[in-house]
Amino acid sequence: MSSLLEMRGITKRFPGVVALDGVDFDLKAGEVHVLLGENGAGKSTLIKILSGAYQPDEGEIYLDGRRVILSSAVAERLGISTIYQEFNLVPQLTVAENIFLGRQPRRFGLVDRRRMLADAHALLERLGVRVSPDARVERLGVAQQQMVEIAKALSLDTRILIMDEPTSALSGEEIVRLFETIRSLRQEGVGIIFISHRLEEVAEIGDRVTVLRDGKKIGECSALTEPSRLVRMMVGRSIENQFPRRRSRVGDTLLEVKGLSREGIFRDISFQVRSGEVVGLAGIVGAGRTELVRSVFGADPFDSGEVLVGGRRLRSGEVEEAGKAGLGFVPENRRDQGIVPPLSVADNLSLATLKRYRRLGLIDRGRMQRQAWRMIEELNIRPPKPDQEIRYLSGGNQQKVIIGKWLLAHPKVLILDEPTRGIDVGAKVEIYELINALTQDGAGVLMVSSELPEVLGMSDRILVMSDGTITGELSAEEATQEKVMQLATRSRRTAVG
Amino acid sequence: MDRSERRADGFRRRNPLSRTDFLRLGGAGLAATALLGAAGCGGGSAGQGGSSGGGSGGTKTIALSLSTLNNPYFVAMRSGAQQEAKKLGVKLLIADAQNDASQQQKDIQTFITQQVDALLVNPVDSQAIVPSIQQANRAKIPVFALDRGASGGDVTSTIISNNVKGGEIAAKELIKLVGSGDVAELQGVPGTDVARDRGNGFENVIKKQSSVRLVASQPANFDRNQAFNVAQNILQAHPNIKGIYAQNDEMALGAVRALGGKAGKEVKIVGFDGEPDAIKAIKQGKMNATVAQQPIRIAQLGVQYAIKVIGGKKVPKNVRVPVKLVTRQSVGSYHGWGAGAGS
Amino acid sequence: MASIVQKVAPRSLLSRGGPLGGLILLGLILTFLSPNFLTFQNLFNVGFQAAVVALLAFGQTFVIVSGGIDLSVGSVLGLSGIAFGWASVKAGLPLPVALGVGLGIGVLAGLVDGLLITLGRLPPFIATLAMLSAARGMALVISGGVPLNPIPRAVSEFGSGDIFGFVPYAVVLMVLAWLATAGILRTTYPGRCMYAIGGNEEAARLSGINVSAQKLVIYSLSGLFAAVAGILLTAQLASAQPQAGTGFELDSIAAAVIGGASLVGGVGSATGTFIGALILGVLRNGLTLLNVSSFWQEVVIGAVIALAVMTDTLRKRGA
Repeated sequence: MSSLLEMRGITKRFPGVVALDGVDFDLKAGEVHVLLGENGAGKSTLIKILSGAYQPDEGEIYLDGRRVILSSAVAERLGISTIYQEFNLVPQLTVAENIFLGRQPRRFGLVDRRRMLADAHALLERLGVRVSPDARVERLGVAQQQMVEIAKALSLDTRILIMDEPTSALSGEEIVRLFETIRSLRQEGVGIIFISHRLEEVAEIGDRVTVLRDGKKIGECSALTEPSRLVRMMVGRSIENQFPRRRSRVGDTLLEVKGLSREGIFRDISFQVRSGEVVGLAGIVGAGRTELVRSVFGADPFDSGEVLVGGRRLRSGEVEEAGKAGLGFVPENRRDQGIVPPLSVADNLSLATLKRYRRLGLIDRGRMQRQAWRMIEELNIRPPKPDQEIRYLSGGNQQKVIIGKWLLAHPKVLILDEPTRGIDVGAKVEIYELINALTQDGAGVLMVSSELPEVLGMSDRILVMSDGTITGELSAEEATQEKVMQLATRSRRTAVG
Repeated sequence: MDRSERRADGFRRRNPLSRTDFLRLGGAGLAATALLGAAGCGGGSAGQGGSSGGGSGGTKTIALSLSTLNNPYFVAMRSGAQQEAKKLGVKLLIADAQNDASQQQKDIQTFITQQVDALLVNPVDSQAIVPSIQQANRAKIPVFALDRGASGGDVTSTIISNNVKGGEIAAKELIKLVGSGDVAELQGVPGTDVARDRGNGFENVIKKQSSVRLVASQPANFDRNQAFNVAQNILQAHPNIKGIYAQNDEMALGAVRALGGKAGKEVKIVGFDGEPDAIKAIKQGKMNATVAQQPIRIAQLGVQYAIKVIGGKKVPKNVRVPVKLVTRQSVGSYHGWGAGAGS
Repeated sequence: MASIVQKVAPRSLLSRGGPLGGLILLGLILTFLSPNFLTFQNLFNVGFQAAVVALLAFGQTFVIVSGGIDLSVGSVLGLSGIAFGWASVKAGLPLPVALGVGLGIGVLAGLVDGLLITLGRLPPFIATLAMLSAARGMALVISGGVPLNPIPRAVSEFGSGDIFGFVPYAVVLMVLAWLATAGILRTTYPGRCMYAIGGNEEAARLSGINVSAQKLVIYSLSGLFAAVAGILLTAQLASAQPQAGTGFELDSIAAAVIGGASLVGGVGSATGTFIGALILGVLRNGLTLLNVSSFWQEVVIGAVIALAVMTDTLRKRGA
């Protein structure tokens, strides 16, 4: 096996931060090389350089032994395809149109729709995805959209396939299929760069592993290396307990949901969250959990039922009211719903509590800055610069800012939707400790998560949703992965009783 | 200053100018270069170029602030002024306000800054021009109003056509052409002296007889396209119209287009100004008559008077330049507005 | 007051290096090309001439920072001027009341824009485009298509008068508006909301900000500033013109963008817009001093606007 790709001494700087510092990386044809590291370690930056989106400030890239300068167009031509975490799909177009965007098959100069649909269908079959090539992308679920992205990459005759956290939105069965596809691509001689946080995946799919930390390459080893050693390389210290849940005293009911329904999305949902407890909301992608918590928070309306916070009834679809009553919400999609990219860290931190800084009609910016500093220190937000534009922070740090924003509001119940998605092990633990602190202070936490270990490790009680209803409730003691999955896959048709 | 502000300051000091700021600087530099380029090639097209103000002995500088160049009438005025200035050896600066009163104010302010020796002004609006005239008065620059008057300020001389008489002449001709029946009037910009006078002159004569009736009077703002629409609407409301009087030729030509085959035949059309396109229409039989002004003469007088006043002589305060009726019969011997009146 | 100026001016000037540098460069070139440029009289003329557009641009800045656009400001300027003119000339109302009518109409127009956008769910471009026509039409209806005069003496003297004998009132008004805009953007709740909504409207909404209510405030502010501009222009011309302000909306947008505001939202400043308005004013003034025909002027101004937007787009792609 020869070296397909070689990157030497890659350095990249952004205002206020050095994203990559002299990193070497190589990839052989027909291998799966896993890129491991905390968020902010530089993985995303490295692959963006490889896909031509960024230019390195220093260092060279060699393809088949020849030096290349990459731009998006050149990268595509040389057979480098990237599937990002945030998809590059056009929502209003169909699956087939997205796959062949800009490269539609033609006949006599006009787009050959029939061939386009047939080719798309073949690609989707190869991936084992049950999606119609004629469906509009905006109607597909996240997992299916990802499959479309992969199909798009496959259609480009890729030699180097880069996948950034491909499994983060996929369920068990879909992940199995994905890995099968990856293995067959490997067989064909494609070189695959695979970024993941899930250590269990490293051994399953990878051949080699490279670990990055704080922009530097820490080490490179076989994918069969034991996980604890990998974690130490990633974090710089060993993590004893991945899920440090410390139970608090459980008190009064803070949030009560009764018979909440939204036509076609969820039905007759009832549950409570009490002071001091963490309630996990588990289920497979598409069960309706995000929609449910959004309706509870008022981000989306609901058709019938009640939401009560501290005994007070909330109106449907009123975020301001929910916030004032004591709810907080950390959304699933950081970039689109969580942060305001052009604003600073301090500005983002103050978003939920702006009104409180008002004095004589003007905002007390001094106080705002001090509160921001407090959060930056408490949450260990890096880099610790309140005036830094938040878009330059890593995903994990951005998430901390979003959580910090709500912490400043002293919520009664904080709702978290996939709080640690795309976040490294080290930052995950920090966030779990935050949850602990919250419940210690008497708040309640409602956490939607698709990572079973996380649900099991951090919840006091687990509600399982499937197909729009709550199929069961498990206490932390009695819950196991199998029991959760059983409840999560129970559909309306096969439910007993 | 507490810790938070100190840190924030440090950040600012390290990043005063980002790359985009440099890009902006470069962009402004390019714009400035474009400016230079425009000054080089565009400067000549607006009459005499050069920006050195007059004032100190030698060649005198006269400024002409026109309301618009979107009308051959004013283009002719410009030609008249340019020729006369050349003949008499004075420098002429010209500005076109594109029918915007506030643009005209800026134009005149700039002339005052350039310390011109006299100001010829063709107001967009007789009222809105007053503050500018007052500013010129304060700067001791003599002001002359051309083609339209000003309702305030100290104007040394107002040189306009005899619009009232012109309206009367037009009315008499239209009555003669139509004999008996209904007629309509296309008015200019409402509120201007010109529109008022041309309208009054016309209506005074019409009122004094009864065989021809004025059934519609609508403004079309001296504009050809607007007149096209207004004429069409009038025809819809009054299909038996026998004649149209337009307060300027641009509007008359718009009416010609609206009337199609009827223009000049079943429906008689009388305009005002005497512009080349109207003369052509009269020759072709699409229009019947027009009241010709003398824009070149107005401009010439303006320049001449300006020079006289600069030299300390007196000039009449109000001049009414005569107008002349041009009909199908007399169009052959009509010489147009004068030499160099435009194509 | 002094501390507000201190807080507002130095920090913004530092980070507005780009447009400020452009303005200075422009000034230097014009000084070289025309001896009449760098005189007190002319510089104050520039201020006088730029004031109306600057006022519009400040109002526009609020809208652009919040991610919207207001195409109606030119027409609202005209409508407000006519409303004021009607109130004082035709209805004979006392001056303060007439001013109130003029300003009130502007705020009302802005409020209607805001309602069309929030309740009507129209994109700002469409909603304000509709208002552009409607307001201009209203101005023509109220005025009968005719300029309204005579304007009260006090007002026309404000329009053409100066303070200390040489600083035009118009310039003073412009500076006050600059400080007010900077203050609003940096230190008021609605101001901070503008940045949040422009930067990511959904995130702002999910943080508990009442986006609809804030948008009503934003567009009403824009209407208010347009009304002030309309009354100022009426004062300058000593008559209320129904066609006043036609086309000025484009200049207001240009000034804001040249000054660093991003049409995508979330970025912009009062000082930047101020410099942008001055750049436009200096350009027009300079080109007129050089006797460049008005047609070429439009070409140059178009080039400057294109360049400014280009650098804005380049910055978006990751400077």
